[in-house]
Amino acid sequence: MTNTTADSEEYLPGDLSGDDLVQRFIRVDHAGEYGATRIYDGQLAVLGRDPSAQPIRHMAAQEAQHLAAFERVMVERRARPSALLPLWGAAGYALGAATALLGPQAAMACTQAVEEVIDEHYARQSERLGGDPALKSLVDASRADEIEHRDLARAHGAEEAPGYGVLTGAIKTGSRIAIWLAERV
Amino acid sequence: MSAEDNRQAQRERLLDAVLAHAPFEGWTARALEAAARDTGIDPALVSELFPGGPGEAVELSSTRADRRMVEDLEAAGAALKTTERVALAIRLRLDRNVAHRAAIRQALSFLALPVHAPLATRLLYRTVDAIWYAAGDRSTDFNFYTKRALLAGVYSATLLYWLADRSDGQTESWAFLDRRLADVLKAGKLARRAGDIAGRLPNPFRILAGLRQRRRS
Repeated sequence: MTNTTADSEEYLPGDLSGDDLVQRFIRVDHAGEYGATRIYDGQLAVLGRDPSAQPIRHMAAQEAQHLAAFERVMVERRARPSALLPLWGAAGYALGAATALLGPQAAMACTQAVEEVIDEHYARQSERLGGDPALKSLVDASRADEIEHRDLARAHGAEEAPGYGVLTGAIKTGSRIAIWLAERV
Repeated sequence: MSAEDNRQAQRERLLDAVLAHAPFEGWTARALEAAARDTGIDPALVSELFPGGPGEAVELSSTRADRRMVEDLEAAGAALKTTERVALAIRLRLDRNVAHRAAIRQALSFLALPVHAPLATRLLYRTVDAIWYAAGDRSTDFNFYTKRALLAGVYSATLLYWLADRSDGQTESWAFLDRRLADVLKAGKLARRAGDIAGRLPNPFRILAGLRQRRRS
C-alpha cells in the first residue's frame, strides 16, 4: 500500500498519496455507508408497512454489511472517522424520511440518485487503488452492490416519482457535496 | 545502517542532548547548536537534521514519548479495565520523563505561542489517539472524538499538575489523574442517560407517516 497513485495518470503534484490517500478513502467510504444506512432507516420509519419496504430492507441489510466491513478496515488502518458523522446521520435520516413521505416512488428516486453518485465515486477510487488490492476489492464489491441497488430502485418505479428530474438533481448535488466534505473533515 | 536510519539516530542523539539545554535556553536554535557541540555533531548540520527548526525537535520528543509509552504499556501487559489502562498509559509516559520536567515546561511555553498552535494540537491529538488505541479503543462512531476530546482535557490538566508536583514519586499527580478520570466517567453516564430519555421521545417522521397513511385510506 505504499504507492497508491503511481499508475494513475490524473495524479498532480500536491495531491495526497500513499497512506494519507488511503485513510481519506476509508473515511469518506465509511461516512457514506453510514449515511446510506441512515437513509434507509429514515425510509423504513415512514414506509415500514408499505409493500415497497421489502426491497428497502434488502438494500439496508447490504449497506449494514458494507458499514461493518469499512469499520473493520478503519480500525486496521487506523483511519479516523469523519468528524461530521452526527451530521451525516441526521441528514441521511431526514433525506430518507422526507423522500419516503413523498411516496414510495420518490423514495426509490432518492435511492437511485444517491447510488448513481456513489457508483461514480467508487469507480474513481478503485482506479487509484491499484497498489492496494485488499481495499480495492472491498471498494469493488461494495460498488457492485450499489449498482444493484440503483437498478433495483429503477425497477421499482423511481422514474415515476413526482418531480423526478428536480428531485434527483438536488439529491445528487447534495451527495457530491457530502462526499467532498467527508473526505476532508 | 541506511542513510535514513543514520539521520534518525543523529536526530535522537541531538534531542537527548538538547534536553540538558532546554531548561535554560528554551527550545531554541541556540539550544540546538549547543546540543550539537556537546554531541560532536557539526552545528551546521542542525538545520539539516531539523529543517523546520526547534519545533521539529519538540515534535520528535513527543512522538518518541508516545512510542515508548505504547511499548511500556504492552510490556506491562496486565489485564486491566479500559480506564485503568488509560491511567497506566499516562503514568508510564510521565514517569519515563520525570528527569526532564524542566525541559518539558519549556516545551509547553514554546507550544503555547499562537504560531505553534497547529503543532500543539497535532501533538496532543497524537498522544491521546495513541493512548486510546493502546488501551484497546476501537470506536468508529462519533465517540471516537468525544473520547479523545475528554482525554485531551484530562491529560493536559494532569501534565500541568505533574510538572509542579513535589510529592514523593508524584503520588499526588496519580491521585489527581484518578479524580479527573472519575469525573469524566460520571459525565459520560449523565450523557448516556440524556440520550436514553431522548430515545424515548416520539419520532416526528413516524407521526407524519401515520398522517400520510390516514389521508390515503
